[in-house]
Amino acid sequence: MSNIIEVKNLTKKYNSLVAVDNISFSVKKGEIFGLLGENGAGKTTTLEIIEGLRKSTNGEIKVLGMDVRKNLLGIKERIGVQLQSSAYYEYLQLHEILELFGSFYNKEVDTKKLFKMVGLENKKDQYIKNLSGGQKQRFSIIASLINDPEIVFLDEPTTGLDPLARRHTWDIISEIKKQGKTLILTTHYMEEAEMLCDRVAIMEKGKIMAMDKTHELIGKAKHPYKIEFILEKDNPKFTQDLEQKCAIDKNDVKKLPGKTAHYEMKLHTQSNLNKAVGMIQKQNPESLTVGQTTLEDLFIELTGKSIEEEEGNNA
Amino acid sequence: MLKLFITNLKMMVRGRQALFWALAFPLLFTVIFGYFFGGGSVTVGTVALINNSKSTLAQNYEKALNESGILKVKKDVNEQEARDLLKKNQIGAIVVVPEKFGEMSPDAPRQIKIIEDPSNAQIVAGIIGFTNQFLVASDFQIANIKPSFSVNEEKTTQKPLSYFDFILMGLIGLALMNASVQGIAITMANYREDKILKRITTTPLKTWKFIVAEILSRLFLNLIQVSFILAIGHYGFHAHIYGNILLIYAFALLGGLLFQSIGFTVTALSKSTDSAQGMSIFITIPMMFLAGVFFPIDQLPKWLFSIVQYLPLAPLLRMIRQIGLEDTSPFTNPLNIIIVGMWIVIMFLISLWRFRLSDE
Repeated sequence: MSNIIEVKNLTKKYNSLVAVDNISFSVKKGEIFGLLGENGAGKTTTLEIIEGLRKSTNGEIKVLGMDVRKNLLGIKERIGVQLQSSAYYEYLQLHEILELFGSFYNKEVDTKKLFKMVGLENKKDQYIKNLSGGQKQRFSIIASLINDPEIVFLDEPTTGLDPLARRHTWDIISEIKKQGKTLILTTHYMEEAEMLCDRVAIMEKGKIMAMDKTHELIGKAKHPYKIEFILEKDNPKFTQDLEQKCAIDKNDVKKLPGKTAHYEMKLHTQSNLNKAVGMIQKQNPESLTVGQTTLEDLFIELTGKSIEEEEGNNA
Repeated sequence: MLKLFITNLKMMVRGRQALFWALAFPLLFTVIFGYFFGGGSVTVGTVALINNSKSTLAQNYEKALNESGILKVKKDVNEQEARDLLKKNQIGAIVVVPEKFGEMSPDAPRQIKIIEDPSNAQIVAGIIGFTNQFLVASDFQIANIKPSFSVNEEKTTQKPLSYFDFILMGLIGLALMNASVQGIAITMANYREDKILKRITTTPLKTWKFIVAEILSRLFLNLIQVSFILAIGHYGFHAHIYGNILLIYAFALLGGLLFQSIGFTVTALSKSTDSAQGMSIFITIPMMFLAGVFFPIDQLPKWLFSIVQYLPLAPLLRMIRQIGLEDTSPFTNPLNIIIVGMWIVIMFLISLWRFRLSDE
């Protein structure tokens, strides 16, 4: 597959603040590429520089083979952009907004198909204020598809949505992929990236900490395996023993908050995993689940903190 | 771009609040001023006449006062009632013609009494002036003298003009100013805050096209405003409009452009919709009173006049009044068009420099 977006040594400075720090990556045609990170990690800035909304301080960006600095208009004609928290005209009906935006492009899609795709057929004569949060978000996704773009940029498409609306949005995103379009999205929901993205880049403080196919990235983690188990009651002696025999780091066995005697253990190798499972089974556990590390665990491993913590601090 | 233009108009109609300020507000002013000052001759106020004499002189005086047109005359009241009305400010002065005034008998009184409320200076001056003139003329007539000196009145314009005519042209300026400064400033700041402008920049639409469509749709609104004001003023309250109507429209559009350029500057310099709103009110309200909407600004103290004559609205109104009221060329004093042109250029330059659809 060929690269549809190429970013080389991109840097963006605001006076002394370095928002994006010398990053390079490429996006392949037809894939869903995820930019992950906390608020302020530089995801949106990176996205908006590629879209041509902001100017880079340094670096070279090619979209669809065209230089962003030289052929921006040609690029804009062939990409679709959903901004983070952008509103639309208050006094226009939804279909009027789509028709208006469609008139800005050479190529225009049948709006009926778009409304149908996201289940908003009977809302097309409504005003934006009559939509729920999830409906607004879906509308803003189809607004980015009005010119039948080859690349679709979605900036935090599910932030602030309830779980059901979020799943609905995921379906729409996979539907867009099925149409052969390339998608770049930013998110701070790990399970979202795990579910949707072919490849992800994890950003922190303007730098890319890790980037690969999502499952390989998870596989490359220091602790690719994870077991959760519940004992009859707390047993510190046993967990110490378990840690000594099967773990590589201190704190690899952790008592989880909440339920009594609920533990989680991170593991480095398959053989250690087998050994640990054997030991736990001898304790007659009430429950034992073996799983792979998630993107969330990886994120914590890379950045040393969880995203929820960070969000809590921001709130 | 045509689509954007039409869509803009559609949104203006649907955004009723904006339309209210653009149309209903100036029309309300037109109607109010129309009722006060429009239609027929303008009188200074009302006086009460108590005529107790049946003499020819007294009857002639009453007749002349009735027909003067300067004052409205209230009759059929006695002195006590008239004094009450004077206290309540419903009349400005009482004229008492004593019994037997003007009769040829030696004991006949020779003075007309005027009871006045000094706070109504205009009415008092009017009635005293009128009465004196009448009595002097009567004296001359009795003594059979022809006056040797008289005034030769020459009006600068032969056409009758009323205060309402003056105001009507001012209201056009007021309407243009309110709709354009506030309209552009608030709409643009709001679009920017909602990131609609940023969303527009993600499309291939060129920025200048977006701006031009916005400007054109508002100029269209200006044309409607001017039509309404002129129509209601003329047909509703008999305002006099003498000049070329098309020229009035042309200068109204120039005014629209002028105030839109100010609106864009306000958006460029303000950080939020609220501050844009505050700033545009701060600009329009003083201008409404100081730039000659309601009264000629050369009546202001000299130092103030020397400043306010350069406010954008002032030269625009001077030109519109020259066209509409005097039917003379708006370029008689080229300073007017120069000031307006300078404002437009400076404001658009500032907007060009500071106004961005999205952040860098």
